[in-house]
Amino acid sequence: MQIKKNIKLVLLFILLSIAFIGFYISLFKDKKVDPQVLINKELPDLNGKSLFSNNNIDIKNLNLDEAFIINIFASWCAPCKVEHPFLVKLKNQNLKIIGINYKDTDKNAKLFLSKYENPYYKVLVDKDSELSINLGAYGVPETYLVNSNNVIILKHIGPIDENFYNSILENK
Amino acid sequence: MKYIFLIFLFFCNICFGNSINDQTDQITKNLRCLVCQGQSVYESNSDFAVDIKKLVKKKIKENKSDKEIYNFLKSKYGEVILYKPEINLKNIVLWILPLVFLFFGGGIIFFRNRYEK
Repeated sequence: MQIKKNIKLVLLFILLSIAFIGFYISLFKDKKVDPQVLINKELPDLNGKSLFSNNNIDIKNLNLDEAFIINIFASWCAPCKVEHPFLVKLKNQNLKIIGINYKDTDKNAKLFLSKYENPYYKVLVDKDSELSINLGAYGVPETYLVNSNNVIILKHIGPIDENFYNSILENK
Repeated sequence: MKYIFLIFLFFCNICFGNSINDQTDQITKNLRCLVCQGQSVYESNSDFAVDIKKLVKKKIKENKSDKEIYNFLKSKYGEVILYKPEINLKNIVLWILPLVFLFFGGGIIFFRNRYEK
């Protein structure tokens, strides 16, 4: 009887230990929520005013016929400056980049692009963040790789790093 | 007459504006702020939450139903943005397991009591 009781206690102890270890490990897990729901889905309609002209741009109607990048940026966003050299490098790889200027003033955005070189093929103004929400964005910067069929293949939250830069080149 | 009309407009504005604000509050209380720690969109003042609040308000003004607004946001951010999870194949076990435990446990207690009697 005593042995049976001891076995039960040991089993209880093991179960509690497993639960404790599980919870403890989960404390250190990256909790950034990124459901990637738009991956492998068609690009939503993104229609906005151009930064450099008064024309409206509809990304799907640009008929790019090749993979392209959509990058959400703002002149006030420090990480955007960090990723900027990568965007210039991608432009030099003959990839077209469509910029979405998030909650910015036209003047500051133009100043930013003249100061750091303009890697964008077109820039859409997104003052009320509707375009960004349509893309399921969390903030700035965010980057998407879209294939020639207007399907989103890759999404990256935060400044572009070496890994994402390489995966763009691999998947384009 | 002019003044009565202006007062009427003023009250209409208060009533209509408040109902939109109330509906916005109600919806945003059920939305998770995805860049915050344990806050709803309603509670947070982060850029993300402010953007979502504005969008919800706009959609209400466009006469979209609550369900349409929730579905739109779900299609953009996934089910995680909703505080109340839906029942689907992925989480069916989580919904059913408490009931299973209840019946199983209840069954054990019932049969044990009967056996002891």
